[in-house]
Amino acid sequence: MIQLFNVSKAYQRDQNALSDVTLKVEKGEFVYLTGPSGAGKSTLLKLLYCAERPTRGQILVNGRNITRFGPARIPYLRRNLGIIFQDFKLLKRRTIFENVAFPLEIQGYKRFEISKKVYQALKNVGLEHRLSHHPLQLSGGEQQRVAVARALVVDPLILLADEPTGNLDPEVTLDIMELFKNANARGTTIIMATHDRGLIRQFPRRIVSLDAGSLAMDDLPLFKGTADMAGQF
Amino acid sequence: MILRAGYFLKRALRNMRQSPVLSLASIGTVAVALALLAFFAIAVLNVQQLTASWNENLAIVAYLDDVPEEKIIKGWIKDVESYPEVAKVNFISRKAAFARFAERLGDDADLIEGLGADVLPASLEISLADDWHSESALATVVERLRKDHRFDDLQYGQGWLEKLEAFLLLLRVSGSALGGFLVFAALVIVANTIKLTLYARQDELEAMAMVGGTSLFIKLPYLVEGALQGLLGGVTALGLSFLVFQVILQKSLGSLLLITGIDTIHFLPPVWQGLLVAGGGLIGLLGSLFALRKFVRFGSS
Repeated sequence: MIQLFNVSKAYQRDQNALSDVTLKVEKGEFVYLTGPSGAGKSTLLKLLYCAERPTRGQILVNGRNITRFGPARIPYLRRNLGIIFQDFKLLKRRTIFENVAFPLEIQGYKRFEISKKVYQALKNVGLEHRLSHHPLQLSGGEQQRVAVARALVVDPLILLADEPTGNLDPEVTLDIMELFKNANARGTTIIMATHDRGLIRQFPRRIVSLDAGSLAMDDLPLFKGTADMAGQF
Repeated sequence: MILRAGYFLKRALRNMRQSPVLSLASIGTVAVALALLAFFAIAVLNVQQLTASWNENLAIVAYLDDVPEEKIIKGWIKDVESYPEVAKVNFISRKAAFARFAERLGDDADLIEGLGADVLPASLEISLADDWHSESALATVVERLRKDHRFDDLQYGQGWLEKLEAFLLLLRVSGSALGGFLVFAALVIVANTIKLTLYARQDELEAMAMVGGTSLFIKLPYLVEGALQGLLGGVTALGLSFLVFQVILQKSLGSLLLITGIDTIHFLPPVWQGLLVAGGGLIGLLGSLFALRKFVRFGSS
């Protein structure tokens, strides 16, 4: 589903945010991307949704080399992705319903389909009663749940989540992890950047660890110690 | 497709509602620029109408101090009518000239009561042929008549016509220069208004791009917004210029041009009205295109 071949990214000369990363993620996998701040987690995710281009190397998503994508093709790639940002990136002037409906509007869904899907997506995150509110009327946790609903409403092939539980209390974190697990069970490939060791321990999955832009570890949590190692970051 | 058009229109209208001051500034600037252009256009159109009618009536009047016998006059008429540029020569007797003058005075005809019918001179009215309606033809005929010593006192409107055409040219040039400047200013202001809106919504634009919005999908509402502002500016300009035309221009321009024989002052013809509104739309569209050209570039860096 996702393959990175010797990918490097330098924002400034001689200062690599990512160095020679080679990685393969199979369809339907759930991968934690861990590492300390500045390790390159966000950069790697940005490369996957084409907000940045690699300085070197190739990236294949669903068999297509996205490093060669021109600006006109990028939106169509993103329509197959669900992206969740740490700062939510919700449309502040629009209602919760409109926020979640937006990716469907872009994809040309009919109005009645949009209503049905949005309601279901908001119900899944427990916010169906907040349809007509605006993002700033919601708590941080609720806003993040709206962002999750927006990412999942299109049934994405791949879900990219950048510290989605970073600012949330443990209860909301568990709710969101349940939503991710359900999406994963439906076949969505998930890459989630986090440094929450408790979370990794609680929901053990494959861990890809970055350190100073390089791949430090890529392991399945066959034993509890691996999760603990990842949790050190 | 119609549903989509409705969607973009709805979003453009919502954008305008969310920043009413900026939108009004754009509409107002386009309206002022186009209204000024419309005033110049009205003036040019009407003065042009005047020159056209003067051109059409290009004629030379040869006044006769002493009226010779009819037979001799007929000979003169025959001579002048033989000029290729001349279509017709009419003899206006003293009596006929007086009657015509009295008729023109209308209600004020009593002013000349008591004057003798022979107070005005007789004349030959020489009109030019259709193919020779030009100042140079007029000058040629005048030159030839001067050489023929039978006609000394010649009157023709060439000087006036030249002055009027120079005035028309001045009006056109100054109108185009001022109008061009104002249209450019309107374009810059509309572009900046849209740009300010875009700055305020940078996060929103980025979020739209991240969930798969194509550049066109994101830009279109702003293009529609610009065009709408321009169209509204055009309609306002039309209304404004019609109002000013009714209240001021019709009277002032009317009294100026009435002296010269034009009896009705015209507003812009329907095609020009349409062009004014469409021009507003185009200014708005171009303004937002300029703003978006530099702004929306969030594919990848």
